[in-house]
Amino acid sequence: MNRTVDIVGVGWSGFGSITPDLSYKEMIFQAATRAYADAGIDPRNDAQGFVTAAEDYHEGTSIFDEYTPDQLGAVLRPMHTITGDGLHALAAAYMNIASGLMNVVVVEAHSKASNILTLDHITAFAEDPTFERPLAINPVALAGLEMQRGLDAGRYTVEQCAQVVVKNKNNALANPAAAYAAAIGKKPVLEAQPLATPLTRLMAASHADGAIVFVLADSDTAKRFKGKPVRVRGIGWANDTPALDSREWLDAKYARKAAEMAYRVAQIRHPRGEIDFAEVDDTFAYKELQHLEALQLTEPGQAGALTEQGATERAGALPVNPSGGGLGVGSLLDANGLARALEVVLQLRGEAGARQLHKANTGLAFAWRGLPTTSGAAVVLSN
Amino acid sequence: MSLLNNLEHPTDARIWRGDLPVYHRYTAGVAGEKFLRALKDQGAVYGTRCPTCGYVYVPARLYCERDATHLDDSTWAPVGPAGALVSFSAVWVDLDGKRLDAPQWVGLVRLKGASSVLMHYLQTPTGALHAGMTVQAVLKPANERVGSITDIAYFKPL
Ligand SMILES: [Zn+2]
Repeated sequence: MNRTVDIVGVGWSGFGSITPDLSYKEMIFQAATRAYADAGIDPRNDAQGFVTAAEDYHEGTSIFDEYTPDQLGAVLRPMHTITGDGLHALAAAYMNIASGLMNVVVVEAHSKASNILTLDHITAFAEDPTFERPLAINPVALAGLEMQRGLDAGRYTVEQCAQVVVKNKNNALANPAAAYAAAIGKKPVLEAQPLATPLTRLMAASHADGAIVFVLADSDTAKRFKGKPVRVRGIGWANDTPALDSREWLDAKYARKAAEMAYRVAQIRHPRGEIDFAEVDDTFAYKELQHLEALQLTEPGQAGALTEQGATERAGALPVNPSGGGLGVGSLLDANGLARALEVVLQLRGEAGARQLHKANTGLAFAWRGLPTTSGAAVVLSN
Repeated sequence: MSLLNNLEHPTDARIWRGDLPVYHRYTAGVAGEKFLRALKDQGAVYGTRCPTCGYVYVPARLYCERDATHLDDSTWAPVGPAGALVSFSAVWVDLDGKRLDAPQWVGLVRLKGASSVLMHYLQTPTGALHAGMTVQAVLKPANERVGSITDIAYFKPL
């Protein structure tokens, strides 16, 4: 790649379980205004392109990409929307800049989950209409089935999954933006109502509202802005099959492939030695453990034990989800990946406040697009 | 910046309700049609075996997702009706998010002869379930079958 790419500004609005005052456009405007101030740019004069991530059914609006320019300052500018995670949008912005097509690109994703009245129906509607949807099962069943498969294969224990919840909700106590922080122990997690056995209610991230905006620039242009640049060293993405019948039910192959690509671009040969900390999708507690192994940050089958030993806590050898993750911050639908990357940026800039890590030079953010997908994206960032 | 500055009470916040009646038809496809007809008319579950990689797809497909091989009529073969339970879950919420009085049991079943798994209902177990145990497809009576994956009523442990 000829040009290096930096994140030069970040802004967010939220996160909360509800946002009765702000429309989604106003939330995005708030996040964008903060990101532009953070970078020290005027979006109308300095930004050449805009990329957003959104899904029509989540928005309750058809052809939703038409509704994204105005609140970003992107009217009459090149812009497009990706139906994927925010990290997919980040990847598109990265390519626009790395290729030399543009110098400054804005990325946005958001969640107004509190406005969605039939989210489980929408998720079920994403299943195959001929062979999967006729069963009319709540799609959380897929998480229960996958978690049970991992238990049977000896990848982790239920207690280790509960410890992920304990860690992330406690981490979130130090994150003022987190919607679901709690000083909680393992017992209430294990004894919470079952959703789809062995998964309990507290092992699944609750939804939150919020918007996140990043400003990216090539490294030469970045020098002109006031923001502390964070280098996008590598980015990658991959999908497994959409079919429930032929997908991998044990290992997160989509995560392995996405990370392999990101590590290759970043020229990282030994992820365990070169990644200081990670923000990793934990939409369901077992997913954090499954993803850590697929991302080559732990040995196969070791992520649970390491979690129990405290290695993934903020003071551990490999801090994972110091922000609180999805379990502590809240699940932000299409913005989950940007939420993970946001924490990596703040840690690398030394601006994570009470949750600042001692060693934060290189961090990984990994997003999974959620049920029923096998879609993953990873980004490696360095200061 | 927050509009809360302008709202005297949270219930002053306005919302609009909107809905959309969404109706589609979905073409089962050449392979899907044949698979569902066999299920309805013969009470048989068919898979297609990829001649290139050997993977057996259930439900049967027209192509292999691993190597893009066309799976023609010669690749069709019946599978099951017994198979191995690969995973299982008791689901306690319905599609509206409402808690169920009794859970809906679901499983992943690798039918005998199949490489893939089939997600389907499990009979409410009387004993402990475990991965690898043998389960068998229970079909609806012929006169109740309509050519749907739900023509399989459920899987029961043997
Ligand atoms: Zn094949």
